Amino acid sequence: MGRKLLLEKAHVEGIRYFDVYRREGGYRSVEKALKTMTQEEIVEEVKKSGLRGRGGAGFPAGMKWSFIAKPEGVPRHLVCNADESEPGTFKDRYLMEFIPHLLIEGLIVASYALGSHATYIYIRGEYAWIPDILEQAIEEAKANGFLGKNILGTGFDCEIYVQRGAGAYICGEETALIESLEGKRGNPRIKPPFPAIKGAWGRPTVVNNVETLAAVVPIINEGGEEYAKIGVGKSTGTKLISACGNINKPGVYEIDMTISVEEFIYSDEYCGGIPNGKRLKACIPGGSSVPILPANLLLKTAKGETRYMNYESLSDGGFATGSMMGSGGFIVLDEDQCVVRNTYSLARFYRHESCGQCSPCREGTGWMEKVLLRLEKGEGKISDIDLLWDIQSKIEGNTICPLGDAASWPVAAAIRHFRDEFEWHVTHAAEAQTRNFGLAHYADPIHVPA
Amino acid sequence: MVQFSEEKLAKVKEIIARYPEGKQKSALLPLLHLAQDNFGGWLSAETMDYVASLLQIEPIEVYEVATFYSMYNTKPVGKYVFEVCQTGPCMLNGSDHIIAYITQSLGIKPGETTADGLFTLKTAECLGACGYAPMMQLGKHYREHLTKEKVDAIIAECRAAAAANN
Repeated sequence: MGRKLLLEKAHVEGIRYFDVYRREGGYRSVEKALKTMTQEEIVEEVKKSGLRGRGGAGFPAGMKWSFIAKPEGVPRHLVCNADESEPGTFKDRYLMEFIPHLLIEGLIVASYALGSHATYIYIRGEYAWIPDILEQAIEEAKANGFLGKNILGTGFDCEIYVQRGAGAYICGEETALIESLEGKRGNPRIKPPFPAIKGAWGRPTVVNNVETLAAVVPIINEGGEEYAKIGVGKSTGTKLISACGNINKPGVYEIDMTISVEEFIYSDEYCGGIPNGKRLKACIPGGSSVPILPANLLLKTAKGETRYMNYESLSDGGFATGSMMGSGGFIVLDEDQCVVRNTYSLARFYRHESCGQCSPCREGTGWMEKVLLRLEKGEGKISDIDLLWDIQSKIEGNTICPLGDAASWPVAAAIRHFRDEFEWHVTHAAEAQTRNFGLAHYADPIHVPA
Repeated sequence: MVQFSEEKLAKVKEIIARYPEGKQKSALLPLLHLAQDNFGGWLSAETMDYVASLLQIEPIEVYEVATFYSMYNTKPVGKYVFEVCQTGPCMLNGSDHIIAYITQSLGIKPGETTADGLFTLKTAECLGACGYAPMMQLGKHYREHLTKEKVDAIIAECRAAAAANN
């Protein structure tokens, strides 16, 4: 069983409250950081830890922090991205609901390191009950001297505010999030300038994911080098994976990134296998935007090596035969699922969520949805498959923000690996309305009998 | 007339104070939530104009935000709004059957409201409850692991609550 750094205490009774959290060793990192470390030393520790952004992009967090501009007399801000909206992803929600003080603790340390005196948590509007939990944690931290004016007598002042979004996937993109924080539509900005130079209200701003900020706590407590010893290669520390789809035990799991995909799916410690003895057909391992993989390429790489649950291994083979770690939203499809239908559902999502700013994304996501729907309904032509490929290839890379790429990749990967299933929807149009295609050549090497 | 109570106005002031001076427009999203909760579950032109006046911004700045975000209702809705997620992981777990069942039970299609004004059915895109699918949002909370029986129970619960309030 791997080490847990974030969720180890998540189920201690009453951990949502300050007294219990503190008794269990909480807020030690704030004492250590504010009393014994300089801002530069904290950034250095985070760099040494190798921590990569947990929102999906995987950019080194310490490096992101080091980019923040420090013009004289201009306030800087830290913003926590809690706009978790990537289909398949529900890990940040879990962390905030069960152990909110861990996020607040990480936010205080990070605010100190970045010099943010007003820090914001931007949370998706639908998580409507969570701001109450966070605001209570903030009040408790304040009452105990860990937030507010002159924290622990160190002279550092910091306030944390919670702002709810109002239903827009695009606001998970950091510049759209900043626009939304400023009270505008969530239209992403053209970069550069990056938020580290000109972010919220034109001020230097760092935007980090919930899990990234929570991970700062063990990094400060144990040191960056110790943290980096967990995991493998450039996948250091632990990662929260939210597992869903056709598995026996959906939920949020903290893994150290040395376990194999096969163990993650079939071990009782994690997903517990696939219900009713069904076989594995496919998996989207890192949230809906990352390429879907057929079972044979999921459990082993194209080279025939075991695939592991970490950044490098999941992307082994590039988009041709690999996928991505992404946000850790792990979606499993069993043999009864239809890839055309699943791809249509995701295309509908991206059409709904496109902000409409860039034409390739605004128009292209709608076209992809329409073409996929007619294929799914058995009304498509073989040339529609090529048309889909053509549309997705013209969205990718041609938009201001990565939503265009995120909409293209699932369609491209589905055609790349499951073209025969798309063709079958055309050649066996009537049959496709009564049964699903099944497994074909991409069956998993493991067959668990019922 | 649309007008917050003294208590709500104090809350408005507190929200505006979270942002830098002169950047009161930043309070727009929280204020629209507050207004929608307070004035019948939706944002009329009058409500939006009122919010604009509180923030000293142009009404158009409020309209363009209110129409961008899916949680703001710019038309009246029923007392209970069922927002059923239909994206990928929920779809894999049968959200289409749940939507069809609610349509059949209440006699309304997605986007419609029952004649008695009690229920509105909406489809939603990923609400971040993928492991607990199928699911819906009802007011401030999520209802997860939905089955036909659970849907029946939720409808009965809403009807009972509405009857108790009358």
